[in-house]
Amino acid sequence: MLEMFDYDFMQRAFIAGLFIAVLASVSGNFVVLRRYSLMSETLAHSALVGVAVGLVAGYNPLWIAVLVAVGSAWLIEYLRSTFSLYSDAILAIILSGSLAVAVIIVSLGGAFNNSLFSYLFGSILSVTNEDVVTISVFGSISLLFLLLFSKELYFIAYDEEVAKTSGIKVKFLNFLLVTVVAIIIALSIRVVGSLLIGALMVIPTVAALQYRVGFRNTMLISLFFALFSVVFGMSLSYYYSLPSGATIVLSIIVIFIFSLIVNKK
Amino acid sequence: MQLKFKVPIFDVKDLNFIVRGQIILSNVSFEIFEGEYIAIIGPNGGGKTTLIRMLLGLEKPTSGEIKIFGKKLSEFKEWYKIGYVPQRATLVDENFPATVEDIVKMGRIARRGIFAWMSVEDKEMVKDAMVKMDILDLKDKMVGTLSGGQRQRVMIARALASAPKILILDEPNTGVDMVSQQRFYTLLAKLNKKENITILFITHDIGVIADDIGRLFTINQKATICDNPKKMLSCEEVSDLYGIDAHALHHHKHEH
Repeated sequence: MLEMFDYDFMQRAFIAGLFIAVLASVSGNFVVLRRYSLMSETLAHSALVGVAVGLVAGYNPLWIAVLVAVGSAWLIEYLRSTFSLYSDAILAIILSGSLAVAVIIVSLGGAFNNSLFSYLFGSILSVTNEDVVTISVFGSISLLFLLLFSKELYFIAYDEEVAKTSGIKVKFLNFLLVTVVAIIIALSIRVVGSLLIGALMVIPTVAALQYRVGFRNTMLISLFFALFSVVFGMSLSYYYSLPSGATIVLSIIVIFIFSLIVNKK
Repeated sequence: MQLKFKVPIFDVKDLNFIVRGQIILSNVSFEIFEGEYIAIIGPNGGGKTTLIRMLLGLEKPTSGEIKIFGKKLSEFKEWYKIGYVPQRATLVDENFPATVEDIVKMGRIARRGIFAWMSVEDKEMVKDAMVKMDILDLKDKMVGTLSGGQRQRVMIARALASAPKILILDEPNTGVDMVSQQRFYTLLAKLNKKENITILFITHDIGVIADDIGRLFTINQKATICDNPKKMLSCEEVSDLYGIDAHALHHHKHEH
């Protein structure tokens, strides 16, 4: 089984994949508890606009995906806090709008090819050294922010209003969370794909929640599930030449179903 | 008896709150001093919760001024001095991954600052709050599995963990059985008398609280403040207050 690591691309994919598993599961805890699950899907679609621009303009799609996803996250947070609009409606509009823009850009640029396909569903072959460095550096910074503010974010997730009355900077931390989530999503689309990263962010936490343990243990369980599904999914992807995003997500769904059954009330 | 030179915890002057032309609160003025035990009653929609939300900075008044510990609300930073237990406190999300201790620890977060870890003092304060609320034996239990009365004590313990000067509770007995309600009032009275924590809470149980409270605020657009709740509760006007044509009964200017 270990012979897959003889290949440089597999080593790169595993380093990037393990980083993404940590980032997606840790941030996913806050995303799920804040009821932001649909936001991860929306930001992933927004990141696709960045990918499309990058592919057409000849820049590194990952960098532009990060910028567009962060901009989109701020727009969502701004719209939600400023206008009396339904949150899920805002997400639905930006999700479908982003996809439409991305498709038009790549169609006009003639880049509707395998390259885009790999960003949609993830591809272990496409992870470059530059991607590994970008994911490691920006991923570490994002993780540091999440861990530094984890207690505050947890409090906000539990009761935003009481957190606010305690003197916690709720608005600032909400923006920080969506920014970090946007960065993590954009970084992850190389390996997992923009259509599937939302699942890696949400499902490990939802599966871990079935065990009904405290926050710290829920986070550790979700981290274990994410790491396991990335390793297992990428191995399947290598041996059966399948898109890595799909195999990773199917692995975590199997874990979720298992968790659901063993913890049935 | 309050001393004249003492800075009130809350100093509210001519507070008005109007939403889309509808008057919610009109010319509400009062002071709350350290050590007081105050109940707020009034009909649904009378502005009780709005008033509390304004005291906590969650709503901005249309006009008027609120001072907290002598500072304008916009300049006040020491929010950990105010413990808040909202109306829906006992209606917790049963799937939320939180033990009793996780929740009580939240009370220390704002106080210790962003980059600090839980200190020995923080841990002691958390334990102390759980002991006071008699929930130490539940500390590893998931909050979602507790009864309404137990959840209520957890939420008060969280508020107490920040060592507040005042506890503000908005109808905290929602979803709580009668035995737990009685226990709750005993706890509140104990916190007020033994710990000198100022208590301000909204309730509908006007008969139960009469023995303990020092002042009664009745809120129905206007505030009516009564320094002798027992006397006021015997008045027919209190029942009128819950009716359609409610007016201010009499306004005892608080002497201090």
